[in-house]
Amino acid sequence: MKPLRFFQSNRSLYIILIAIIILMAILNPTRFFTVGNFISMSYQIPIIAFLSFGSMIAFLTGGINLAIISTTNFTGIITILTLRAISGQATYEASVSSSIIALSVGFIAALSIGALCGFLIGYLEIPAFLVTLGIGTLLNGVNIVITKGYTISGFPPFILDIGNGLLWGIPIPFLIFIVASVLLSFLLTKTVFGISLYLVGSNAVAARFSNINIRSVYIRQYMLSSLFAALTSFVMMGQLNSVKANYAESYLLVSVLACFLGGVDPFGGFGKTGGMVLSIIILQLVSTGVNLLRLDPYLTQAMWGLIILLLLGTNYIRSSIREKKRLSAVLQEAKSNPSATNSASLL
Amino acid sequence: MQEFLRLKSIYKSFEGVRALKDVDFTINKGEIHGLVGENGSGKSTLIKIISGFLQPDSGKIYFEGKEVSHLAAGETTSWGVQVIYQDLSLFPNLTVAENIAYNEMLEKRRPFIDWKEIEHIAKTAMKKIKVDIDLAKLTEELPIGTQQLVAICRALTSDIRLLILDEPTASLTKKDINNLLGVMRDLQSKGISILFVSHKLNEIFDVAENITILRDGSTVGTFPSKSLTNDSLVELMTGKALTQVRHSQAQISSRITLEVRNFSKRYNFKDVSFNLKEGEILGIIGLIGSGRTELACAIYGISPPDSGELVVNGKPARIRSVQDAIAAGIAYVPENRLVEGLMQKQSVMDNLNAAIMKSLSHAGYIPYPKRLNQASLWINDLNIKVSHPMVPVQTLSGGNQQKVVLGKCLATRPKVLILDSPTVGIDIMAKASIHEMIRSLADEGISVILISDEIPEITNNCDRILLMHAGKIRAELDAAKIQPSDLERMMSQF
Amino acid sequence: MFRKILRQNEAYVFLLILALSIVIGMRNPSFFSFENITGFLKSYSMIGIMSVGTLFVLILGGTDVSFTAIAQVVEYAVVVLIMKFGGNIFVAFFEAAILGIVLGLINGLVIHKFRVPIIIVTIATFNIYFGMLYVITKGKLINNIPQMFKDFGNILLFPQKSAIGGTYGLSLMPLIWLAALILGWIILRKTMIGRGIFAVGGNEIAAERIGIDTFAIKLFVFGFVGFLAGIAGVVHVAIVQSVVPNIIVGKELEVIAAVVIGGASIFGGRGTIFGTFLGVLLFAMLNNGLTLLRISSYWYSVTIGAIILIAITVSAYQRLQRAKTNVKVQIQE
Repeated sequence: MKPLRFFQSNRSLYIILIAIIILMAILNPTRFFTVGNFISMSYQIPIIAFLSFGSMIAFLTGGINLAIISTTNFTGIITILTLRAISGQATYEASVSSSIIALSVGFIAALSIGALCGFLIGYLEIPAFLVTLGIGTLLNGVNIVITKGYTISGFPPFILDIGNGLLWGIPIPFLIFIVASVLLSFLLTKTVFGISLYLVGSNAVAARFSNINIRSVYIRQYMLSSLFAALTSFVMMGQLNSVKANYAESYLLVSVLACFLGGVDPFGGFGKTGGMVLSIIILQLVSTGVNLLRLDPYLTQAMWGLIILLLLGTNYIRSSIREKKRLSAVLQEAKSNPSATNSASLL
Repeated sequence: MQEFLRLKSIYKSFEGVRALKDVDFTINKGEIHGLVGENGSGKSTLIKIISGFLQPDSGKIYFEGKEVSHLAAGETTSWGVQVIYQDLSLFPNLTVAENIAYNEMLEKRRPFIDWKEIEHIAKTAMKKIKVDIDLAKLTEELPIGTQQLVAICRALTSDIRLLILDEPTASLTKKDINNLLGVMRDLQSKGISILFVSHKLNEIFDVAENITILRDGSTVGTFPSKSLTNDSLVELMTGKALTQVRHSQAQISSRITLEVRNFSKRYNFKDVSFNLKEGEILGIIGLIGSGRTELACAIYGISPPDSGELVVNGKPARIRSVQDAIAAGIAYVPENRLVEGLMQKQSVMDNLNAAIMKSLSHAGYIPYPKRLNQASLWINDLNIKVSHPMVPVQTLSGGNQQKVVLGKCLATRPKVLILDSPTVGIDIMAKASIHEMIRSLADEGISVILISDEIPEITNNCDRILLMHAGKIRAELDAAKIQPSDLERMMSQF
Repeated sequence: MFRKILRQNEAYVFLLILALSIVIGMRNPSFFSFENITGFLKSYSMIGIMSVGTLFVLILGGTDVSFTAIAQVVEYAVVVLIMKFGGNIFVAFFEAAILGIVLGLINGLVIHKFRVPIIIVTIATFNIYFGMLYVITKGKLINNIPQMFKDFGNILLFPQKSAIGGTYGLSLMPLIWLAALILGWIILRKTMIGRGIFAVGGNEIAAERIGIDTFAIKLFVFGFVGFLAGIAGVVHVAIVQSVVPNIIVGKELEVIAAVVIGGASIFGGRGTIFGTFLGVLLFAMLNNGLTLLRISSYWYSVTIGAIILIAITVSAYQRLQRAKTNVKVQIQE
């Protein structure tokens, strides 16, 4: 199937965003445009945002990270267990330095999972879908076995602050989100690694011939994806004050949905952080809007699905118009410069 | 000869742009007819009209002498016209029998499958060209040459009168090509006409009785192949006279840049040894299946050899990866530019910079202006026609795309540049420009290995020639002392 | 000849199932009892039925994640319809089939017309179907379902009295699973539409070129997936004898994993009914084995995950080895 290159620019997303804001203004101006509401939204966005970034990174090479949720939960579980090892049962009293150590251990655990995924994909050439399905299932099982299905709670103030704290009046998780978005955008567009990701995503074979070490790229790629799983976990630990083997299970599909809405090509080679941020904000606005209007929260899900279908539909119409224009332009060039183009073969 | 299909004054436009203008074309029964033309000459459009895929805007079509007033979509198929495209359009995951019988089963419109019938259809088709392929094998398990025969068998299941072959020999070994040409003659003897579209002029000359030349959407003319020579044909195709100049060997120094000693790799090549001098263009001539690309890939680190040594500029080099090769100063322009050379959806700029990103970066960071400048350097140097470096490389013509691949390799400042079939599928004028580029690179001191199976390309551009066949180097020749016909004779020995 | 069989993925799964049976059976011989076997077959019938649909989509070359939502929606709707308008089990299945087909056809339509990857569309429809189900039903469970469903679920062939006084036997659910398998097999192996699915999955461009109606094929596949999902929903009600609107959803990856382990290729164009059956059977036996061996069910995911990893690693290693011995050039001395 010839994949459709949709959402080339973020224009459609801006339009949707503005449309939704206008809709909110009409339907519920008093409760929507309050500082309290914006702060509330900025506490909610980071979790789905980090998971979406994690998924996006995998999509850039045409892969997928089905293990991202279990990696998130794994990070949390390792963190609390480390805390227990350091501070005993009273983990909620742990010091800042203990907290940092525990978080680091959890962080490293996440990166290791990512590295393992990347290794299997790069060295054994196994499709990412299968690798992350296997590792995700296995890790989920490990999480269940360790926790026996129970919730483990009792996080120290330092970690709770990550989820709930304020810095300069802005929720800390949101600050982390902003910093992470900027850094990710920089990483993807202005560094060797980032550009390599897109090149590998377009054509891994050609990238290999072009002096790019694709095995190393895959390993770093999935480590980066898992890094965002770790960030998700930090915020979740802070906000929920607990870890469980099956937290955020339903978020996998939402994160993938956010990627497609944000214009990421699941076959690899295309995807912008800007589009992702817009998409995440749109999804959050819909969710908040539904809540403020006291509508059934499940309507949010249905609306998300509907927005994607509408967007796909309008983009299809627009791109078929564009395709017709391009065809005639190409043929025009062929007529004026016959030896320089191979237009006819494009017909 | 009796006329089978005649097109007269055919016009075809797409959205106001003329693809075909006043085209006349006739093919007779039992004739093998060659169709040549540069990219953009309208070949594909003409083929699509003949095969019934497209309708002409105006013009007359005569089928067996009778004018056809109105052409319905796909009607030509009922006249017995079948096309085999370059990609063969086979189903890799289905068996040979199923692939061969698919068309006919579709025609029958029956909802259920009779596997015995499929086998019967397949066997009957195979008998027509006297081949015997394992019907139970999955098509993807077959070598390309055999797959092509499967495609032909499929075309033969209907009552075929005209077989159109679009670039059929692109990835075939010599044995397969001869096989195919034999099959074509066999079909011809049964009264089936064949329209043979190809870039490989020597093959056209080999089998076609008449050749039609398209240029800029119009027919230049139809000539008996005996009345044309390679040069006159090229001139008709391009409208310009092409002078072939041999490479002057004045610039070769005596320093040896590359020494290959006893390179061997199981199932790939054996005991290959040669030296390469600074500023020299060494040709390796051999057909697909001779091991030439495998050798190149071994030197370049893609698939390292089992045994053997490599010495670059006097220093032994252990090359186990592309990174090692680039670091040692070896660059490679791959055989298949689309699959191995280009990241199609990415920009020209990113493709050009792909191999040297690290050197452009500082702790991983590459500023955009640096990327742009670096890419612009090569765009100018190699005369790549592109509106802006940020456009996706897939929008460029074949010749310009190859220049991008070349630029990417040259950016690594190689001492040894290996080019594998660099001008396949590229227009004649662009070909000449690339050859010129290769020569000037050699004059600047780069050692070049040029791998090709086109004799003129090798004899005109190389200083020394290695002949490779069945995994080994069979002969070493001085290009100055050899004629193309000698080389041709030597190659046909194998 | 043996080599060819061993090269097939299904052989490995089969051997694994054999090995597993022996291991479990040795420790707990009741594994082989009629009661036990009919038991785990019944509990995995729903997944078994849905797996046939998943196989079709995988052969076509994509991943569908909306089928659990379809099953969920249809299950709820049919029970409500029967409660409102009455009807016997055939009416229920009929309504389920129609509803499932419609929901599935929507997928097929969007996927073909907008030329979008299957996974994107099915994620969207998953959210729409599941979200709307909850909005309309407010997540209410239905505990007192019409007796008709319970009776249907309780039908036993070859009934036996068990030691503790109850009865056991072969339920109709595994037979419906079997019917789905047979239907799937007939379609894939004996009909032009079935071969068309393989053709489109193998080379869609070639399929269009020789005149295969790819739109019809896609509509058929997704309609069929919806049909099976609907049937599976009714089967599910008969088994658990209540309607919980979020219990089926979440099993997508498990079904896909079973089909993939059974040999279907992620890239499309390949897969067998027998392999799919083996894959689901493996999962069913694993689940059952854990219970019989008194191993905590917490280990289910770990075991499944390990099997997936081992399977894909072994397969990858074999592929790499084969590539090394690929004769690229016939070397002559």
